[in-house]
Amino acid sequence: MNKPVRRLRIPGKGKETLMAWLIMLPGIILFAFFLWGPLLESMRMSLYSTRNVELVEFVWFDNFISVFNKADFIQALINTFSYTFWSLLIGFFLPIFIALLIGETARSKGFFRTAAYIPNILPGLAVIILWTAFFSAEKSGVVNILLGKLGIAPMAYLSHSGYVIPIIILVALDGAGIFKRIRHITFPAIFNLGSTLLILQIISIFQIMYEPMVLTRGGPDNASLSLMLLMWRYAFGGSMDFGKASAVAVIITLILLVFTAVYFVVNRRKTEWE
Amino acid sequence: MAKSKNTPPRTGVIREYDMNTPGVKAGLAVIYAICIVMVIVSCFPILWVVLAGFKDLKEYMSSTAILPRSFDFSRYIKTWTQLNIVKNYLNSLYVAAGSVVCALLFNGLLAYGLSVLKPKGYKIIHKLVMFSLLMPATISIVPLFMNIQRLNLGGFFTPLWLQCGASAVYVVLFMQFFESIPRSIIEASRIDGCSPLQTFFRIILPLSKPILVVITIFTVNAAWSDFLLPYLVLGNGPWQTVMVRLFIFSTQQTINYDDLMRSVVFSMIPPIILFIVFQRKITQNIVTAGIKG
Repeated sequence: MNKPVRRLRIPGKGKETLMAWLIMLPGIILFAFFLWGPLLESMRMSLYSTRNVELVEFVWFDNFISVFNKADFIQALINTFSYTFWSLLIGFFLPIFIALLIGETARSKGFFRTAAYIPNILPGLAVIILWTAFFSAEKSGVVNILLGKLGIAPMAYLSHSGYVIPIIILVALDGAGIFKRIRHITFPAIFNLGSTLLILQIISIFQIMYEPMVLTRGGPDNASLSLMLLMWRYAFGGSMDFGKASAVAVIITLILLVFTAVYFVVNRRKTEWE
Repeated sequence: MAKSKNTPPRTGVIREYDMNTPGVKAGLAVIYAICIVMVIVSCFPILWVVLAGFKDLKEYMSSTAILPRSFDFSRYIKTWTQLNIVKNYLNSLYVAAGSVVCALLFNGLLAYGLSVLKPKGYKIIHKLVMFSLLMPATISIVPLFMNIQRLNLGGFFTPLWLQCGASAVYVVLFMQFFESIPRSIIEASRIDGCSPLQTFFRIILPLSKPILVVITIFTVNAAWSDFLLPYLVLGNGPWQTVMVRLFIFSTQQTINYDDLMRSVVFSMIPPIILFIVFQRKITQNIVTAGIKG
């Protein structure tokens, strides 16, 4: 009695499994096309010389070697770490601090929260352009106008290699995408999430590209060039060298993987203690 | 980790009964002052750009006053018509609409499979999706661009729409929501003879309105604001969106700053309207929804 029933069920179950996979298939294909495939592809491509969108010849690590050997790579690497450092200094503790303060303003909490949120809904590019105008060295530069009223001499901040990275970080924090940084401001149980927020912030700042691209184009003298911007330059900055661009992308991916691994190790140890 | 605290609105460290102490009162005044400064910092740029839009090029470049000499709306209208921004607006709306459909449908179905159906072997896909959370897409934009070129998908919205169907954040948000739906409801529909797909469209989706709204808002905003892939895909072609236009505009050698500032204002209007309409949804739901993203 038992056996036939079981046999009847098995094909049914197989059909259900198939059905479930079919339901997931479109999503899986899109993930493969937009995320997983390109990630693998960039690893493969970094080992080839390329002409336009064609892979020409397998060259082992030549792309990496020639990327490493250019002065702009070391500069970009140092800058990227510098961006990360500044973003943690101003971008991690400040929002938490403000979130705590807002929590104390009992009756006006909603108002302040909304106000703090506003920059997040604006298109990132619009905010970056705005700040470009603010920091402009022309007569119209708002920062210079305001500081001028305090008696501080006007300056071309975005052409100053010492100021440029902290300023870009400020802009990045202001014009972040809707998801990226508001979490710091709205979520009450901030400290539980400290390490998760930290790793997410490191990962997102490590890929900083839009802000230096629009604000300074990596200048002055590559002082604000980030690794991602270097990748963009190789690919779309005129030379169309997709092989070398992929080599840079692979280097960034590897560094991010190290960060993520450290995070998981630290986090596991923490949960073991609890 | 996140589920531990779901406390009602907290009142902070300072409680009502502390308010009688003068020191606490002074401290609170300082707190308010800092918060007001923060409001000014975050809102002033918007006000400034709207005001700057009333200036013509000469006034913009030479005047150090924040207020314009006159509030001449015709300058806004002139930029709007001369640059033919209506066309870009419509294109951006098409992108947003298609993106919403793709984001809800494809991510929803994938999350349904991963959190409800759980067929044999689903864990591999689940792991890959979680991994994608930590590896944002910009890094592989080069091979993605090449794939799009090879498949001849460039020049039209299709890749932008479909890209929204592959968002690890949305899949995770959907999964969390679907897991909160009682299994008994889902099983009942199966017993009544619904196929898995029917269960999804007739039972799960109608129950998931809150998360559908949140993801729709996020997607509209993201689709409106994105410019990198749209720039590579649409370029200077007829389907150029507002953000692509603004990006090309801002990277030109000689820029008419007054027109640029007015274009910035135009690009901000839809997100601001979206924010005003869905303000509560946006600021509150992100609290619960955004955290694991």
